[in-house]
Amino acid sequence: MQRFLDPEVLAGISSLDLLAKTVVDGFVAGLHRSPDFGFSQEFAEYRAYTPGDDLRHVDWNLFARTERCYLKRYRGETNSQLTVLLDASNSMQFTSGPPMKMDYARFIAASLFYLAIRNQRDAAGLIVFDDEVRDYIRPSTRPGQLARLFAGLERAEPRARTDFAKPLRHFQNFLHRRGIAIVISDFYESPETIVHTIAPLRFQGNEVVLFHILDPQEIRPAMKGPAILIDLETDQKIEVVPDYMKTTYRVKVDAHIEELRSRTLAAGMDYQLLVTDQPLDTALREYLTLRQEGN
Amino acid sequence: MGFLSPWFLGGLAALGVPVFVHLLRKHVTTPRPVSSLMFFERGTQSSTRHRRLRYLLLFALRFALVLLAVVAFANPFVRRASADANARLLLIVVDNSFSMRAGTRFADAKQQALATLAAKPPAQKAQIMALGGQLEVLTQPTADESQLHAALQSVEPGDGHANFGELGRYLRTMTETVRSPIDLHLFGDMQRTAMPANFADMVMPASVKLVLHPVAQGAAPPNWTVESVNAPAELSDPKDPRRSHVQAVIAGFGTPAATKPVSLVVNGKAIATKKVDIPANGRATVEFAPLDVAYGFNRCEVRIDSGNGGSDALPADDASVFTVRRSDPERVLFVHAANDTRSALYFGAALDSAAHASFVLQSVAAEQATDLDPSKFAFVVLSDATALPSIFEHALEAYVAKGGNVLIALGTSAAHRERIPLWGGDARDLHDYARDEGAATVGQVDFSYPALEQAQPGRDNGGWAAVKVFYATAVDPAQARVAARLADGTPLLLEKQVGEGRILLLTSGLDNLTNDLPLHPVFVAFVDRTARYLSGSEQRSGARLVDSFVQLRAATASAGVAGSVEVIDPDGRRPLSLSEARSAQSVRLTRAGFYQIHFANGRDAVIGVNPDRRESDLESMAPDLLQLWSGSSAGGTEQTASSAPDQSKYRNVNLWWYVMLLALIAAVAETALASGYMGTQREEV
Repeated sequence: MQRFLDPEVLAGISSLDLLAKTVVDGFVAGLHRSPDFGFSQEFAEYRAYTPGDDLRHVDWNLFARTERCYLKRYRGETNSQLTVLLDASNSMQFTSGPPMKMDYARFIAASLFYLAIRNQRDAAGLIVFDDEVRDYIRPSTRPGQLARLFAGLERAEPRARTDFAKPLRHFQNFLHRRGIAIVISDFYESPETIVHTIAPLRFQGNEVVLFHILDPQEIRPAMKGPAILIDLETDQKIEVVPDYMKTTYRVKVDAHIEELRSRTLAAGMDYQLLVTDQPLDTALREYLTLRQEGN
Repeated sequence: MGFLSPWFLGGLAALGVPVFVHLLRKHVTTPRPVSSLMFFERGTQSSTRHRRLRYLLLFALRFALVLLAVVAFANPFVRRASADANARLLLIVVDNSFSMRAGTRFADAKQQALATLAAKPPAQKAQIMALGGQLEVLTQPTADESQLHAALQSVEPGDGHANFGELGRYLRTMTETVRSPIDLHLFGDMQRTAMPANFADMVMPASVKLVLHPVAQGAAPPNWTVESVNAPAELSDPKDPRRSHVQAVIAGFGTPAATKPVSLVVNGKAIATKKVDIPANGRATVEFAPLDVAYGFNRCEVRIDSGNGGSDALPADDASVFTVRRSDPERVLFVHAANDTRSALYFGAALDSAAHASFVLQSVAAEQATDLDPSKFAFVVLSDATALPSIFEHALEAYVAKGGNVLIALGTSAAHRERIPLWGGDARDLHDYARDEGAATVGQVDFSYPALEQAQPGRDNGGWAAVKVFYATAVDPAQARVAARLADGTPLLLEKQVGEGRILLLTSGLDNLTNDLPLHPVFVAFVDRTARYLSGSEQRSGARLVDSFVQLRAATASAGVAGSVEVIDPDGRRPLSLSEARSAQSVRLTRAGFYQIHFANGRDAVIGVNPDRRESDLESMAPDLLQLWSGSSAGGTEQTASSAPDQSKYRNVNLWWYVMLLALIAAVAETALASGYMGTQREEV
């Protein structure tokens, strides 16, 4: 089933629905049974009743014996809210071979949505941004939510440039409820700025994950001779020599990734580097782990 | 190495083209998009590193292509020393003619030839030849030093007469098959008499470089010789003053006037000696008479005694040998028609008056010839005898088959009987010139034919022009040699070989009715030579020249049918092997001295063989003539001889063809490689 998670294979699937189904089904079928990820009506815990709790979950047998009102919780009934923040700037359209970074991000988002809504019955929402918020789909579990999310992903074509500071000001307005916020981007910004901008989401009790999407050529670029490079976002040109690409560039990229990782973890968030030639299960596994921790 | 067209090397400037294309041309690069430039820094390489050659192999091929094309046009060559010398055939020809016996000529020539052979490069091929009476090829072209050396050592002075024309002809034939150039080194005395009548015959082909090594320097040394001897080959009566005498001509070449004692030696014993006054550089005649010899073959010799004057430069030519055979007069059977009485008269008179003939004519009518045995006669004459007794005719056929000779004269009787006895053909027609136009004349006469032989025939057709023929029988000349024809083309004298013998057919008669030949002086000479030819006496004794041939058996006789022949040369050796003795048609007399020959028809002969007297004139060719022959324009022949080997050691080997071939290979490789770079790759689906 591993082949269903291969990005190159997935790039040939035009329908996000089918793609997400393929990825998630393949992923789920490959999982070992684990107490952390059960879907049955397995007992989890008792919690004292607080006004406002659903009376249907009160353990009336226990109340009859003890006259204390407790709620009985099951693992399969734990719900969460997933919000994907998708970077749709021009830099996301870089590719050295299928799939494009933007496509890879879409695959991840679609798979996450599918896993959340169909398998976990979580609410899922989408925020598409570049230098501003371009699209927002409120997290919901309503029927048709998955289709709306997929449509939103389809609309998310790369354009403009990334500016975390500006759109993230509005994120807090959208994220009222605690949940999982997954930011998918290539993060061409200083780690300090990124963490500084995203950290407020964590303060509201969200589990925040940064999915850092990079093309293999962005990590280990191959260059035979001097070349003129053009910035996809700013159209700025620069002449670069191969020696630089082999030495200094790699050091800088590695340092950037490492700094971003360390700052993210230091801020209580999670960080995952996803290279576009890697299978998608890394992202899905990360989501489920976070969801379990969140419960 | 050098260049025949060095100006083309200016084209080397074109080498800048591939350098420009690969090294100096501005790089055209397509900008590569990247997600962000935040990690990049502007950088420019140094000119050397930045302009590093791309497609090194392609550049190398293009560079090589231009370089090779330019070099090819410049026409490079190398001087190949050893290879060139090896490619030329060294042809060493040593003159071993009779004149090389004079002084140390032959030893000097051989020594020089050995030195030349020793100086040749080991890999060069050489060939050894000896130029005597004929050109003798001693080895094939080979580089085997020992074989060449042995062949050269085996060359001994001969008795033949060299002819440079024969050498030229052989070289012209040789160069048609041998493609490699030839260095011909001729070692000899460059005798003037060895030149052919036509200088063009001795001119060498263009691919032959002639280097002359003359061993005779300065003026020719004086030399006396017995130039010629006139003696009877057959002698029946030593007392006969007309025939029993020997006349010799003593000649001097480059000699002062001198008196020389000349002796006649018979069977090793000097029977007479006379002093001869020889003028300076002139000739004198001496005569010995009578010639008293014993029966059988007598080995005779006219010799110039060295006397008190000492020997001359070439003592070997101071004697001339010949053989005189003394026998009783031989009988000739003359068979004539009953009504033909004049023929025997005329023929007998002519035979008697011939100087050297020793024949007795026995005349008999055809009807009376039944019991005669032809083998007891020297030869048989059938005069107008077309009707022979069958027994006699059969006896004649057997006689001819065993080597007997017959002269047939057709008179008027031939008109009545078509068949000609012995001849094997019929008389086709009878030309009666007397009735038609008076008489026919003799048109063509083959003076090389023994019965008609004349050294210098006069303008009157050798005496035959005045002969009138009234009757002649037309005979089919098939398989016969026609020695004389009438003016209208009718054969007059024919010869046919039958078995070991031969038949002469005179299509007219021997009387004065059918022609007036018996009335002319040429008739005596004709009868004399015919008698000697048919009796074989000419062949069985006398003197010959070295390198002349003696016929051993009839050409038509098959081997095995006739008996074997035997030839013993002057050294007592048999030059013919057993198989040759049974099959050889003739033998070449290569040595001077006395040859003993036993012919296939059972007859024996002893023949004296003398070297060609042209060899006695030791004068060399003029230096300018030698220069003209060798084709040298500078220096003398000695200089040519010394410098020629050095010049021939080097040869320019042109390399442009090989360079062009390399350029072609480079061009093909460049095309293939460039196509590989420029080709579009098919997109994998």
